[in-house]
Amino acid sequence: MLNKYHCLEQLAKRRTDEIIVTTMSVAAPWAQLSDGPLDFASVESAMGHAADFACGLALAQPSRRIVVLNGDGSTLMCLGTLVTVAQLDPKNLTIVITENGTYEVTGNQQIPGAALVDYEQLCRGAGFKRVCTVTDPADFEASLEMLINGTGPQVFIWSIAQAKEPVPQPALSIAERAQRLHRALLSDS
Amino acid sequence: MIGANGILAELRKNAVTHVVGVPDNGSRVLFELLWADPIIQVIPVTREGEAFALASGLYLGGQQPVVLMQNTGFLEAGDALRGTAHNMRIPLLVLIGYRGYHTMDTDRVDSAATFFEPTLKAWQLPYALLHDDDQLDVISRMYRRAATDSLPAVVVLVESTE
Repeated sequence: MLNKYHCLEQLAKRRTDEIIVTTMSVAAPWAQLSDGPLDFASVESAMGHAADFACGLALAQPSRRIVVLNGDGSTLMCLGTLVTVAQLDPKNLTIVITENGTYEVTGNQQIPGAALVDYEQLCRGAGFKRVCTVTDPADFEASLEMLINGTGPQVFIWSIAQAKEPVPQPALSIAERAQRLHRALLSDS
Repeated sequence: MIGANGILAELRKNAVTHVVGVPDNGSRVLFELLWADPIIQVIPVTREGEAFALASGLYLGGQQPVVLMQNTGFLEAGDALRGTAHNMRIPLLVLIGYRGYHTMDTDRVDSAATFFEPTLKAWQLPYALLHDDDQLDVISRMYRRAATDSLPAVVVLVESTE
């Protein structure tokens, strides 16, 4: 089983100019590592809609890589997005599903299908050709290389240990974060 | 009936790049026209809430999307609209087909119509009804309204497209 905080630290070290979209229990620890214009916390938003939002960014910015760090509970809330993303086939989009089996920020209540749902099978069934489940910490470095450099759309399922993140509370409002991202992307294009 | 060609012309006039949504009987002809259009890209989604999230990402990435759905799907998509396009202050034109409009004065009212306009008002969405081709300019008007407010604005397609 992976340690979420270690995974995020390693990703932050390898990250260059990718847009990183976070949500729920990953948003606050990621913001501790990076909180610039290209880091978008999908918080104060709509649960389950980080991956489809990231897909829109990916289609709009085909020359820039987008990584969305989604949860297993969030994935279940909008399962159809897996199909939407697979059919749209954005080569620059990577989805990470952090699988811990709970709604962490509300107190680790068990999500439907915890320890029953096979996310890799779900993703493959939705049409993804590149799906990788990472459970062993010894495999993480190699998988991170694929995550950073592999062709999307691809999904990495991180099997992570439970933690106790509270509800994230970003310093900026979601409108301010959106405008910051918008300005950064327009100034680069 | 509302001419789909007229709607397409209005969307082109406003430099719309993408139409994101879910087809229904009323928008069938419009969707078919859009699918064949060489400029505007159609993005079909599995559920209407996805349309708001995906369109918000498109806009922040520099595109000019519009969302298209039926009122039934709109009612389902409330939290996605609130949490993405509304909270992010995305200037987003939303075209919504009005299922049940002609049942409202009958003894068999479609509840999709009963709940629709009260919901638009409750969600504080500015909207205009589009009944026929003589009113096509409401599309540009509400497009500008969305841009001015930096928030979603709605055009309701009362009749089917042809």
